[in-house]
Amino acid sequence: MTGSRNRRFGTALVGLLVGFGLSPTAAEATSTTPGARALVPGVKVEVAPAPGSGPAATPNALDDSALRYYARIGDVERMEAEIARLRALDPGWEPPKDLFTPQAAGPGVDETPFWSLVSAGKFPEARAAIAEQRRQTPSWQPSAKLLQELDVAEGANRLRGASDTKRWQDVIDAAAAQPEAVACNRLDNAWRLAEAYAELKQLDRAFDRYKTIVSQCPKAKERRDTIFKASRYLSPEQVRELTTIGATANPVAGEDYTAVRTVEGELETGRLLEKLGNPKAGPLSTADLARAEQIIRDKQDADGAIALGWYFQRQKKHADAQRWFADANGWTPSDKAAEGLILALAALGKKAEAREAGAPWQGKSNRVDQALKSVTNPPRGSGSGGRGASGGGAPGQSELSAALARDDFAGCLAAIQRMLTHSRPTAALMQQRGWCLMELKRPTEAEAAFAEAQALAAREPAKANTPGKSSSQRSLSDRPLDTPASPAQENAYGQAVARLATGDVAGLARDLPRTNMTPTQKAEIRASLLATEAGRAMDDKRYGDVLRLLDARKELTPEPRNLSLLRGWALYNMRRLDEARALFKAIDDRLSTEESREAVSVTSMATYRY
Amino acid sequence: MSGCNWLLRVLVLGTALTLGGCFGWVDNNLTQLPTPWRRIQPAALPVTLPVSPQFPIIAARARTTGAIYSSYNVVLGNPTLLPGENRLSIDVHTLPDGPLGMLIQPPRVFPVPLYSTETLAETLAKEFPGLKTKVADSGRRNRYGEYDYALAQDATNTCVLAWQLISDHNRTLPRRIEAIRLEYRVCGTERNPRALLQMFDALILTLPDSILEIDDLTRL
Repeated sequence: MTGSRNRRFGTALVGLLVGFGLSPTAAEATSTTPGARALVPGVKVEVAPAPGSGPAATPNALDDSALRYYARIGDVERMEAEIARLRALDPGWEPPKDLFTPQAAGPGVDETPFWSLVSAGKFPEARAAIAEQRRQTPSWQPSAKLLQELDVAEGANRLRGASDTKRWQDVIDAAAAQPEAVACNRLDNAWRLAEAYAELKQLDRAFDRYKTIVSQCPKAKERRDTIFKASRYLSPEQVRELTTIGATANPVAGEDYTAVRTVEGELETGRLLEKLGNPKAGPLSTADLARAEQIIRDKQDADGAIALGWYFQRQKKHADAQRWFADANGWTPSDKAAEGLILALAALGKKAEAREAGAPWQGKSNRVDQALKSVTNPPRGSGSGGRGASGGGAPGQSELSAALARDDFAGCLAAIQRMLTHSRPTAALMQQRGWCLMELKRPTEAEAAFAEAQALAAREPAKANTPGKSSSQRSLSDRPLDTPASPAQENAYGQAVARLATGDVAGLARDLPRTNMTPTQKAEIRASLLATEAGRAMDDKRYGDVLRLLDARKELTPEPRNLSLLRGWALYNMRRLDEARALFKAIDDRLSTEESREAVSVTSMATYRY
Repeated sequence: MSGCNWLLRVLVLGTALTLGGCFGWVDNNLTQLPTPWRRIQPAALPVTLPVSPQFPIIAARARTTGAIYSSYNVVLGNPTLLPGENRLSIDVHTLPDGPLGMLIQPPRVFPVPLYSTETLAETLAKEFPGLKTKVADSGRRNRYGEYDYALAQDATNTCVLAWQLISDHNRTLPRRIEAIRLEYRVCGTERNPRALLQMFDALILTLPDSILEIDDLTRL
């Protein structure tokens, strides 16, 4: 945090030098921080010639004690805001030359300790210290700015406390009592006030508050973040109006409001992609679908293409699904895209192509291995070279295949039950039962089914030790890089997945090293264990551990979006705000969803707080 | 002078104990998250269930939360094709051992009241997706008092969700146990929900502390 503050302070100093008349090159030579910016556009600040030259006379006697305090502690954000506020009071006012020179306020009393207490949120202590100082120095009067700042900070504190505990009416009352607490320089509070109105279903007032922010607060980024926040509560029409206002109202020279104009499109994209990925959301309209396809194609967004593939797969439009999975795999090859491609091709009856699509990942990705079963071993229950008691034509086999093809896992159980009434259980059949039970969220029974499959496999030595006896499997396993799992390994893997689902994390972690699984399977289970442990560490507020566990997981497999968000929140809670914000921003840039926008907003709020 | 030295030694020893021991204690005891579930033998469960071929015990698990909550989960067989596990869950809320335990308490592992209209509707929708659900108009009674339940049905299956908070210290619970929560979720192919509730009606709690049935005397 200190480093971050120093960097920001360095940036401001560059701005000061630029404003002072040095060439940009000369200014940059004093700092390595790129992207220097002026404190406030159009403000020129002169650096004091020497310390101890005394305060510069301000003709209109504006109280600059807060400004000096912010300069002293290097709080650039608030220094900028204070300069803007003073300039609004007196357009002819210029920041003092000796802004960075230590000052004594009043007759011999340095107000720094009081400002420090206020800044630290220690308001009763600040009031007590002021009272004590006045007792010791009766002639001293605290500066009006200090007292005003204290009042505002107390009001802001009350507002935040009410907001944190969801006392929405109290939030509104606190803002009414101290309107300065919800000014642009305390944007977080202004957002909280709008949120309070929205939570109380006073949506018109919430809209008014958001409108005030996007029209009055000068920074484009603040306006943009505000619209994202407002989108949670307001109608699309209101968000559109806010966007128009935010992009045009009271523009400040030097600010680029282009990013505000694009918010609506980003929100729309996020909404579309979320809907696309949600099986319960129903079909998209033709226009929405066309728009989603266009966006994904333009961005060559592999994740979006996979979501689109699954969308079409759910709609039984397998040819479209195949096309999108293939595009995703072309843009960014992944086992997720390959899995979808295999299943789409399988549904189209193109089994050879499906096997080909899965070949690069076979033995390296369990999701691909599972998907390949639908093409290498369709009647999974009696698979592995017809190990079922009744051979390839076992009664119920086609029923089982049909159930699996339509993802009907209750149907799968029913088919297996019927098969078991005609024939003895086989390892493959019990393994299939295990997977179907997993899909039905019955992991304990699934674990038992995998254990039974394991026991049966041990009694079928010839077959268990020669996995992939069918011609199709043999042709795949003969590839030098592929190391398909044996039935015993498949069963052990199934048991491990089931144990994960039942929360038996400690036992599984203990047993994993001596479990017979392929290295890929072990890595996948280990990654899941680490993710579970990271979630637990997060709940336990052990943020350092969260990062440690996620780092270890990242060595095994790429980090999915939800865990990247978890990592971001751990960084946020460790007050590594710059890193958290950068991470959230990167996630949001890839695919903007409500949770990623919220994360970006909250980290921004933390920066603006106070 | 020697008195001063003695005092200094006591202070140093006290500080060392505080830093060495007490901090360790804090590390071990401030975590109020539930421990991960661990498998236990059915015999180690604090409950005896009637033998049921339809709903055998598949697995038993236990975990603790802080020093005052012990939770048990008994997974029962599910003869239907419906999603979700049949189960009996038990949470035992004991009183803290001492003043430190009173100061550091984990959040409740179950809410009181156990359900509101909204949370019950959410739970039923989650437990029995796609089934028609109905909350029973009147409760039923097992060995430990009244309990409530809800029904869920489709053309071939019937499910029940029963929940009970035992908190009667006048007769049922010893002073050391603050409360016991029971929740029972079972789906079967029976049409009659009473058959499904039979196991819940007949269960016997076997905690080390003496838990009395509400009508022990009338049973004698």
